[in-house]
Amino acid sequence: MTIPTSNPVLENLRRSLGRRPGDPVPPRPAILPPRPAAAPEAELDLLLSEITKLSGVTQRLTSAEIDSALSALLLAQEVKKATLWPTPGLAELKIETRLRQLGVEIVSPYADKQALGQCDLGVTEVSFALPETGTLALLSDGERPRAVSLVPRVHLAILRPSALRADLHQIFLEAKNHHYMIFITGPSRTADIELTVTLGVHGPKALYVWVME
Amino acid sequence: MSERPTYIKFGEYTEHIPANIPAAVQQATGRFLGLRQMRVSEMPQWEELRQAASNIRLHTLENLDFYLEKLEQNVRAAGGQVHWAADAAQARATVLEIAKEHNVKLAVKVKSMATEEIGLNHALEAAGIQTYETDLGEFIIQLMGTGPSHIIVPAVHLKKEEIAELFTQKLGVEAPPDPVKLTAIARATLREKFLSAEMGVSGGNFLVAETGTLVIVTNEGNGRMCTTMPDLHVAVVGIDKVVPDWETLTVLLKLLARSATGQKLSTYTAFISGPRRAAGENGPKEFHLVLLDNGRSKILQDPVARETLKCIRCGCCLNVCPVYKNVGGFAYGWFISGPVGAIFSPQILGTEAARELPFASSLCGACADVCPVKIPIPKILLHLRRRVVEGDEFAPASAPLMVRAGAKLGTFALGVPWLYRFGTRLLPIFTAPFRKDGWMSSLPAPANLWTKVRPFPAFRANFRQWWAKRTK
Repeated sequence: MTIPTSNPVLENLRRSLGRRPGDPVPPRPAILPPRPAAAPEAELDLLLSEITKLSGVTQRLTSAEIDSALSALLLAQEVKKATLWPTPGLAELKIETRLRQLGVEIVSPYADKQALGQCDLGVTEVSFALPETGTLALLSDGERPRAVSLVPRVHLAILRPSALRADLHQIFLEAKNHHYMIFITGPSRTADIELTVTLGVHGPKALYVWVME
Repeated sequence: MSERPTYIKFGEYTEHIPANIPAAVQQATGRFLGLRQMRVSEMPQWEELRQAASNIRLHTLENLDFYLEKLEQNVRAAGGQVHWAADAAQARATVLEIAKEHNVKLAVKVKSMATEEIGLNHALEAAGIQTYETDLGEFIIQLMGTGPSHIIVPAVHLKKEEIAELFTQKLGVEAPPDPVKLTAIARATLREKFLSAEMGVSGGNFLVAETGTLVIVTNEGNGRMCTTMPDLHVAVVGIDKVVPDWETLTVLLKLLARSATGQKLSTYTAFISGPRRAAGENGPKEFHLVLLDNGRSKILQDPVARETLKCIRCGCCLNVCPVYKNVGGFAYGWFISGPVGAIFSPQILGTEAARELPFASSLCGACADVCPVKIPIPKILLHLRRRVVEGDEFAPASAPLMVRAGAKLGTFALGVPWLYRFGTRLLPIFTAPFRKDGWMSSLPAPANLWTKVRPFPAFRANFRQWWAKRTK
């Protein structure tokens, strides 16, 4: 498609608004200040309680407890195949090795769409978290593919307390120049049939959030 | 429903409303309002947020050319492509051209009011492109071949038994009347489509000028699927959806979900600046943004009515509206319903096609009280009523001659004191033949518009006489 030299939409707009190209714009209106952060422990408690209210499953773990938590998850969700981000953070926790040892087949996050669609579990980290709303924010790039938190039936997000931010403002300040971010607030849900809340319409049916102490 | 209507018969429709519609709609609106109320009570700064949001939206609209240019620049800088569409036909043609260039056979769609507005689905189907709505409610509505009855829960008027029967017929599967199982069937059906579609089509909740970012808010995850799995993403977004920067976005995001469904944030909010950067990242190779005008620039001419475009499509005004709650979404005849539909449609379609809509309100003002961006809906309704009956600098009068003549006569009679007093003396005499026990149960046309529905109380006293006595 070619770029038009004149733009009728902008011309119409300027006529309606009585403006000319390059006219100055007054400063934009003020906004409200961000919510102040509470103590770190209180913020974490708030985050986890909000996620729980949204039917997410939360746990606080040390690395020694990962294996038992993983086997419980695999059992509860009948996980046969899993995919995960190839990030240093997950490698450090040896998630892939542990899953293999527990008998789970690992699918590459770069496998084709159909193969990813067969995965029961996707494991990611979390870039930021918002306590007030129980929200996880995930950035994406070559190492952090978007489908891992979307296509599998179950999403396990590994959270470090340092990811917590008090309000949207701080997250946006840090993330706005990144080209993709997804906010995840609980598992996929709908109330489209007779207003009955149903989890797992298109995205994951279950969301697990593990805080690594 | 998605086609551009030539005349919206609101009045005629309301005479034959199926009984299930108000019942189902009121269940949904009651639920959403209750949850919204909980959210509002948690936020002591709610009113300040609304005021800030209103200021931001109005400022952006008043300087829209500036912010749109900035947006275009930044979308291109992020590797996306920008197309301008002056009207619906141009927007459809643009999407079709992009689809043809990429040899698209199957398209998946996120629920989007802009694509409803331009009737995109029909255009895609007519061009031989299979098109699937993927929001569960929209998917059901699409299979049904009807329109939405509510902006957030489009299929709320259908019972699970009807949906089960629909799935059995159209999808050829055994479908039990159980919401969980029906949802699972839709998941499996649409999952295949997500994985094989060549094009994802979306609208957008916001466009951030600062970085050229498209913001999409959904609950089901279909929005993520449509914008993550296919190699091509085309977004059709109204030019009114721009926000200056991420700081201002904080205000609007805090209001949107709370006002719409009573959630603190919707399940998924995606912030998309251009196409994917790395092959393994997922997401589209190409990102196209179609900026839709379709009459919006004309609305901005009018300093009173331009506030209509502050709307962020939360649907809260529908949920509180006593008229909407009794007639449902179909009555408004186009993709947008309720109080905001009653002020939006007449401005886009013209006061000829949608002249009944500004009158589809009791002017109770509940809509303005809850609107998160403080659109003065009753004021705009009155403004448009005047346009319909008397005409103004933006459009000639379009009401039937009888109504216009009646209004003129009324203005004249009410403006001349002796004539008014004379009239009030005549009324009891004229109405005498119709009175019985203090009520008038039927009146000749056009006054029978009232008495067809309910009796009219007879005039029992003369206010001026009563007032004169009282003050003595």
